[in-house]
Amino acid sequence: MKISEIMTTAVCSITSDKSVSHAAEQMNEYSTNSLVVVDYGELTGIVTSRHVASAHPNRIVADAMDVSPNRISPEQNIWYAHSLLLESDKDLLIVMDHQEEVLGIVTREAIQIKLAEYLDPLTGLYRAPYIHYIGEKMLAENKPFHLLFIDVNDFGQINKQFGHPFGDDVIRSFSAVLSSLVVEQGDHLCRYAGDEFILITSGPESHVQQCIETIVSPTEIYHVTVSAAVGYMNGYREPNFFARPLRELIANASLLSTEAKKKSLFRC
Amino acid sequence: MIGENNVTSRKATLTLKISEFEVPPMQDMLIIGRKAPIGPEAVRRMAEALSPEQFTLIKMNHPKIEAVLLRNSLLQMIDEKLLMNIILEEAERMISDSMVLRSELKIAMSVQREVDLL
Repeated sequence: MKISEIMTTAVCSITSDKSVSHAAEQMNEYSTNSLVVVDYGELTGIVTSRHVASAHPNRIVADAMDVSPNRISPEQNIWYAHSLLLESDKDLLIVMDHQEEVLGIVTREAIQIKLAEYLDPLTGLYRAPYIHYIGEKMLAENKPFHLLFIDVNDFGQINKQFGHPFGDDVIRSFSAVLSSLVVEQGDHLCRYAGDEFILITSGPESHVQQCIETIVSPTEIYHVTVSAAVGYMNGYREPNFFARPLRELIANASLLSTEAKKKSLFRC
Repeated sequence: MIGENNVTSRKATLTLKISEFEVPPMQDMLIIGRKAPIGPEAVRRMAEALSPEQFTLIKMNHPKIEAVLLRNSLLQMIDEKLLMNIILEEAERMISDSMVLRSELKIAMSVQREVDLL
């Protein structure tokens, strides 16, 4: 999932004193949508087909280019690149090494194509690698979070009783319920595996409690009552939260969800 | 068809006007529209090449005006904010975003003092 796996290394360059019309000709000639602007051996900006289309052709590249393009290291994660592009509303990132040498570019399109491979086709949610990236990043940055491991109750029974296509409908509808809970800026949801989901949130505890209440309340899906168990790890209160790897936190939350499931069975 | 007796003549008139070239080819100020054929950086480079360290480029957050190039000596005489407010107020009445306006700006000071006689 590194940038080096999807970056384009064939990068064309131009100097900032050339005209915008010349830049457009270069783009046509090299069949590219972007040119890296290099003056006296140093990167000074980037000019894309969008810049060329919106600037007067007589202008110089310096007056049309993006003077502060986002830079990224080839070692960085694609999820990080995706969040950078979302924050900046730019079309591409320049891949540079520690010696400030341009190694390539990575476009929004290339990132989106790669990330689409990590989308679960049934629910439209991201799969486990997404939550691994988010959780590990927050742990590395010492940012606490709440981790909810969500496990649909008796999903095997639902499949046996009503068939797998109906089971798929249940998962799809249940994921829609979970998606409706993702309202805070720091909320991240994924379909972890089969009938298991993980929600990571840095929202307030009141938000977490509201999520748990909604998730554990039995829901009617196509005339079948579906419920779920939640294993909850509170990163704001859990001792040694940051000393433990994400795998361990997920495993712990998973065990807590199993316990919650047993308790609910016992109550019945 | 032109016969042997017909004569064709073509003449051109050449007009030559010579005047002194200003360096740079502007006076005190340029006001650059957002879609003008010459952009702020090109204007700055032109001024810097022809009159080094005599002009300052001020970028604008304005719907039609992208930047103003000003002679430094003006900024030494009058506050930049005050000057820019006056320039924008007057220029935005006539500029379109594809224009570059050239302007002369002179500041004259008039002083009258009363002093005690000996």
